[in-house]
Amino acid sequence: MAQVPLLMPQLGESIAEATIVKILFKEGDAIEADKDILEVETNKAVMGVTAPCSGTLCQLNAQEAESYPVGAILGYIEVSEEEARRLGLDDESPAKDEPRAKKEKRPARRGAPQQVEPTVRGLPVPAHAAGASYLSPRMKARMTELGLHAADLSGIAGSGAGGRATIEDLEKFLEDIERNRITPASSMRVAVADAMRRSATRPLATVVLPVRLDNMLAHRKTCAPHKAGPALYVLRALAIALSENSAPAGRLIGDRIIHPRSIDIGFAVEAEDGVLVPVIRNADQVPLADLIDRYNRLVELARLRRLPVGDMGGSIATVTNYGVFGLTIATPIPLPEQTLLVGMGAGQIVPHWDPAKKEFGPITEAAFTLSFDHRVLDGGAAGRLLKRVSELLNNPAEL
Amino acid sequence: MITYLQAITAALDKALADDPRVFLYGQDIGAFGGAFKVTKNLAQKFPGRVLDAPLSEDAIVGVAIGAAIEGMRPVVEMQFADFSTCGFNQIVNHAATLFYRTGVPCPIVVRLPSGGTAGSGPFHSQSMEALYAHYPGLIVMTPGTVEDAYSMMRDAIALDDPVIFCEHKFLYNHLKAEKLPEESPPVGKARLARHGRDATIVTYSAMVHESLAAAEELTGDGYEIEIVDLRTVKPLDTDTVLASVARTGRLLCVSEEWPWGGVSAEVIARVTSEGFGLLDAPPQRLNARDTPVPYHPDLWTAHRPTASAIASATRRLLEM
Repeated sequence: MAQVPLLMPQLGESIAEATIVKILFKEGDAIEADKDILEVETNKAVMGVTAPCSGTLCQLNAQEAESYPVGAILGYIEVSEEEARRLGLDDESPAKDEPRAKKEKRPARRGAPQQVEPTVRGLPVPAHAAGASYLSPRMKARMTELGLHAADLSGIAGSGAGGRATIEDLEKFLEDIERNRITPASSMRVAVADAMRRSATRPLATVVLPVRLDNMLAHRKTCAPHKAGPALYVLRALAIALSENSAPAGRLIGDRIIHPRSIDIGFAVEAEDGVLVPVIRNADQVPLADLIDRYNRLVELARLRRLPVGDMGGSIATVTNYGVFGLTIATPIPLPEQTLLVGMGAGQIVPHWDPAKKEFGPITEAAFTLSFDHRVLDGGAAGRLLKRVSELLNNPAEL
Repeated sequence: MITYLQAITAALDKALADDPRVFLYGQDIGAFGGAFKVTKNLAQKFPGRVLDAPLSEDAIVGVAIGAAIEGMRPVVEMQFADFSTCGFNQIVNHAATLFYRTGVPCPIVVRLPSGGTAGSGPFHSQSMEALYAHYPGLIVMTPGTVEDAYSMMRDAIALDDPVIFCEHKFLYNHLKAEKLPEESPPVGKARLARHGRDATIVTYSAMVHESLAAAEELTGDGYEIEIVDLRTVKPLDTDTVLASVARTGRLLCVSEEWPWGGVSAEVIARVTSEGFGLLDAPPQRLNARDTPVPYHPDLWTAHRPTASAIASATRRLLEM
């Protein structure tokens, strides 16, 4: 006849063991399901331990005034055939290394070592959607061989456990795409793809602020002999704002914030099939007027893809002027090594309420965006930074 | 038709005929022809060359080693594989190490009738290949076909190393072939018992046939299972196993032995350490339950891998 173990139950969230206060039955007694067999005391309360089923208490290991850990076998209840069937006791289960019930006479001692249960057995793919991202060693080897990343395979509907992509799924997918027209991606394209993929592994967010451009545009007309691009104004404003408070441009690595060494700001330039980002070093320390020539030269070199290595990389934030494409709002993705990306939308003449004159008047305004790594800063800090940039931009003579 | 058992008899016959240095030694193998009749009529055919031994495996193997040192090529029989542990010291400490220690070869063959049948119980059923494979210096053969029973016995006698020859008792009379082979693969080379695509079963001896039955069942579900018959457990043909896993990406090791430190465990250790990037799912094994071999027929049936258990295990592997 089957035997059901009587276990010390989990009595509360932080309870690891309990002391037997009273044993209500003795070996040989008939037991009714859901009735109390013992009373136990934890550091919180006295409570009853009920029988998991009906039957005969064929073995009792526990003693009054002794402590037993949660999960300890306190005894055994012998059950009838139909009760065993009702409980779904499985005859077919593999032989376990449990001590035979008859020999187990000594009760578990206080503080007996707990069984360590592995959390993962077999394939670490749980039977729900989270399995979809599991990549087997073979998948990884094949992907390395072909230069693929998980992002390349996002289009595969996996047929494996939990929806994971199996090696067969991958090979079928690769076969299938051969039927499309295929053109080689330029090295610029592959480089940008890699940067964007790495960047997007972070939680990114964007805030938007309308910024008045009239003062900046007026100042720009007075620039001679060469005009400064609007992006240079914003770059200077951003540089000064960050020199006042550099924390938003920090990077989060583990539980540490890595602060910038110097205020080097980059600006995006469209080059063939991609984007290059020349950098103005120590942009907080050089007035705008002295930056104009350098800026224009860098833009030229970038467009020709002849940017010197020393003028690329190492910037702590980037400015991008997508407004030149007529775009009013965008959510660009910051460079993978940076936390901040300031975006400038296309300027538009819009009606603005003048509270003093109590009338609408035209102003030139653009939506500025700040896209940021949300692990480093939140919307408030982002908003404050954009507002400061806006303030500085509206005082262009000081830039 | 010739049975697996008759193939072994034929190989022994040929060896006795071709090489005067060969003799047979074991309990009841002379006039009685052996407990399973493997040596039937050989004592009559080769007088003085097929000798009965006392009930001492220690002595049987010891005599063989001594004879081998003197230039003979003995083939000894342990009546049941299980009894070989009474001669364990002779096998692993003397036979296996002799050449390493002295430069003198030890060309003995120790025949182990292995595996169980219903009712044979814990001391007449064991599969001991893993135990002996663990020791350097021994070759361990596990033929699973009539052809291999013949050609591998001939190879075993021709080798200068001590060979543990694990014959499967169930296959003795159940496996039949048209005729004996004229050619055979080299010693230590595994063979593809079945070509497949979706998963690899690595197995040997009687389990090759259970695995083939399981593979047939799975064809109905659209799966093609590849089966590697190791033939020889030591040396183990890692290359053939890895090549198969390279094709299928999934591995199931099936054997009648116990799981702990078995041939299955060795195959999986090699595939994961040398071919990790080949695996699309964790490698699995299916062995006998980790208990002594039961006597009761119902328990015995539940104890060892069967075709349907192999099919279930393979399905689980395929669905990972």
